[in-house]
Amino acid sequence: MTRDELNAHRLIKEAHEANARLHSRRHFLKESAMGLGALAMGSLLGSCGNLFSSPQTKIAYDPAHPLLPKSPPIVGKARSVIYLHMAGAPSQLELFDFKPELMKMDGQDCPPSLLAGKKFAFITGVPKMLRPQANFARYGQSGALVSDNLPHFSTMVDEVSFLKAVKTDQFNHAPAQLLVHTGSPRLGRPSMGSWVTYGLGSENQNLPGYVVLTSGGSFPDAGKSVWGSGFLPSVYQGVQCRSEGDPVLFIKDPDGMSRDLRKASIEAINKANEQQYQEYNDPEILSRIAQYEMAYRMQISAPEVMNINDEPAYIHEMYGTQPGKACFANNVLLARKLVEKGVRYVQLFDWGWDAHGDNPNNSLNIGLKNKCRTIDRPITALLLDLKQRGLLEETLVVWGGEFGRTPMMENRNGIQNPFKGRDHHTEAFTIWMAGGGVKKGFTHGETDEIGYSAVSGKVDAFDIQATILNQLGFDHEQFTYPFQGRPFRLTDVAGKVISEIVA
Amino acid sequence: MLEFFGRFHPVFVHLPIGILLLGCICILLSFTAKFINLKPAIPIMLLLGALSAVVSCITGYLLANGGDYDGKLVSNHQWMGISVAVLSFILWIIYQKVKTNAILGTIAAVLIVLISITGHLGGSLTHGSDYLTAPLKSGSTKGGSAIPPIPNVQEAFVYQNAIQPLFQNRCYSCHSSEKQKGKLRLDQEAYILKGGEDGHTIVKGKADDSELMKRILLPLNDEDHMAPKEKPQLTNNEIALLKWWIDNGADFKKKFKDLPQPENIKTILASLQKGESGAEQIKASDIPTEEVTAVDNKVLKKFTDAGITVFPVAQNTNYLSANFINAQSMGKDVLDLIKSIEKQLLWLKLESNKVNDQTLTAIKDCKNLTRLNLNNTQITDAGLVSLKDLDQLQSLSLVGTKITAKGINHLKKLKNLKFLYVYQTGITKADLAGIKKLLPKVSLDTGNYKVPMIAQDTTVVKAP
Repeated sequence: MTRDELNAHRLIKEAHEANARLHSRRHFLKESAMGLGALAMGSLLGSCGNLFSSPQTKIAYDPAHPLLPKSPPIVGKARSVIYLHMAGAPSQLELFDFKPELMKMDGQDCPPSLLAGKKFAFITGVPKMLRPQANFARYGQSGALVSDNLPHFSTMVDEVSFLKAVKTDQFNHAPAQLLVHTGSPRLGRPSMGSWVTYGLGSENQNLPGYVVLTSGGSFPDAGKSVWGSGFLPSVYQGVQCRSEGDPVLFIKDPDGMSRDLRKASIEAINKANEQQYQEYNDPEILSRIAQYEMAYRMQISAPEVMNINDEPAYIHEMYGTQPGKACFANNVLLARKLVEKGVRYVQLFDWGWDAHGDNPNNSLNIGLKNKCRTIDRPITALLLDLKQRGLLEETLVVWGGEFGRTPMMENRNGIQNPFKGRDHHTEAFTIWMAGGGVKKGFTHGETDEIGYSAVSGKVDAFDIQATILNQLGFDHEQFTYPFQGRPFRLTDVAGKVISEIVA
Repeated sequence: MLEFFGRFHPVFVHLPIGILLLGCICILLSFTAKFINLKPAIPIMLLLGALSAVVSCITGYLLANGGDYDGKLVSNHQWMGISVAVLSFILWIIYQKVKTNAILGTIAAVLIVLISITGHLGGSLTHGSDYLTAPLKSGSTKGGSAIPPIPNVQEAFVYQNAIQPLFQNRCYSCHSSEKQKGKLRLDQEAYILKGGEDGHTIVKGKADDSELMKRILLPLNDEDHMAPKEKPQLTNNEIALLKWWIDNGADFKKKFKDLPQPENIKTILASLQKGESGAEQIKASDIPTEEVTAVDNKVLKKFTDAGITVFPVAQNTNYLSANFINAQSMGKDVLDLIKSIEKQLLWLKLESNKVNDQTLTAIKDCKNLTRLNLNNTQITDAGLVSLKDLDQLQSLSLVGTKITAKGINHLKKLKNLKFLYVYQTGITKADLAGIKKLLPKVSLDTGNYKVPMIAQDTTVVKAP
């Protein structure tokens, strides 16, 4: 044997020995003593957990029936939520927050006090102030201010609670949208709809409990994470449905596949999954079985519920739908149908509200006006239609964007934009809620005389989330989910129920 | 000035605790061969520990003189603390001379015990004597209600059964025999009426002028807010009860039934009877005050198997909500099932085209039903007769049915009915006046709302 061969032989032998050591019982005990000790310690501490933790809302999570309805800790006023999100952030100054003082200041340089130490998404240098690009009047018994951009909605103000001093700390669309819907500007947290379906399940086992509908030609900037389930079981993520063609892709059986054959194949797959579950006891397998069964039931019920064509003509006219097209009005009508059928949380996103003024479609006096025309009729019809069916009392409708718009005209890179537009604004914007046990014809919060910042009744995304959970019967501080060794909440460490608007 | 130094006591005490414990542990360890090298360090540890113990004793004395503390607890703590200081000096002095391990070890062990007791007594003074053990007691008062359930609330004494337990759980830790922050004691009638430094703690009949209420109602972040921010707070119900008691003369003898009871107090008293925490009660007023027995899980399972979802309206009640939207059939077996939960049913959605007059006979004894939805069912006027005795009904929805004004006559005894939805029924505009007369308190919604067509609905603003 040459020296090299000898060395190689030795090396191989040593490798074998090292390998054997890694698999010996002695090695396991030696190396894992610390870990086992910690495990034992953990379970010991766990058993006295109530010494350290406050009472938490108990959610009976059954992986085999994840969407069965569950009771909230206290009786909720609302049973369902329809959240209408205007992605891109509509201008509060052209819709609800009337500031006559801005008329006087129109065209003047922005006072330096409003710019010092502030950062804007696009504004640089000294922008000019911009007067409201709409006419306002007071409506209803509550005398709420609404602009002529929303003539139909102005007849509904006595059903609505306005929050006029909402604040955020994110001035870019995606993080701001995530903050509104997941309680964090970063990716990875479960969305509000996921929390709600996790906590309450759904009253209709043949439909998803949390449905997402989009319009406006684009997804919200934050993408699908904004209806993701984060660390909650994946069955609670929002199910995005299409408002034209098949509501859910591939929901129809292919040609030649009969219903019986489909049933037989699902039963066979579930049987295999059950065997797998017997072996591994992983609850996600039960969840998978439940999903297959629901998908099978959905094949029958979803096309029926999702089809707005069987609604009578006068309902279509009321909502101003455009059958066969993907549009906001169709989605709103669908939202009412879904809530009527027991779906817990319907999330709508309508894209295209970002009125910077860099092109006509992005301007306050052209693009924004046209966007308003696409929502004015449907949202009015939604409130009226829910009302006449006795559903408004138990359905919370929320309308809003992810932030507001500046009282200044946007001057991108120091150059004034060619059309009338406003930049992203975090200090104050308007959101409204209706139904679901909130006050009717009420306004909470006020901004200063130019609508730059909140003067009273300041609320933020967490407060709105806390209020929505409150209306559904949850204490947002006790509604938690254990993840990475600590309980997580939708509202993180913040949030206060806006009791002023709770009826 | 002296009291200012006294306030450093809670900071200084941690020095002797830490240093002396370490010293004693080192003494015990140094008996073994492995740790013999620790010996030279021990005298300096003992000296530093003893000196800091003396400083602690002095600051502690100043703090106790400051006045907020009294009673046996302080004196016990004081003498234990002094013994720790003395014993630690003795140990330091004899350590170099005595070489017998047994003697040194015994003294060190005694010192450890003394430090532990002194520390515990000090902790009890700061946090209240039941602070340590409170989490172990069942029904810990921390998050829940401070007032235990009262079986027969009207016959109970206001002070003895409600106000005193409230003070005990929320105030005694700083305002009773062991400690009198602001010179205030709340554990006996005489002390309560005497009040604290500022006086006027309770002004009989005038809650708004009483310092006690003022402090409780200050914003949480106010320095003078009571209970202190970090302590459990009074619930809205507890505050309302306290205010009610003071407004009615802060009497220490009277029973609940002796005092006038406005509506809000009645709900609170009802919750005391059941022992619910205040936060829940306010929002849960939709549930009847009388609780019902729980429905057997086997029955619930039968509903689930029939495609019907039935579940309690909230976790703190046995009243049920049922939704028949996916009911596979409405046969006799299902009707019998409904009858088996007729007492518990609170909300019912029978929205299904399989529902008819026959179905309604099954709910005629659902006496607690408050919300009923019969939208898009096959029911007729004759069927509504089954609802005539459901006098808890608050909301009734008959949208999309064949009901006419004739059927509404059956509802005339429903004195709690508030909302009636009759969109898309046989009820015409001509019937409205008659129904309004029959059911004057009901808000009647005939729907059929229209959104008028205006130019803006169809036109688009174009760029110039």
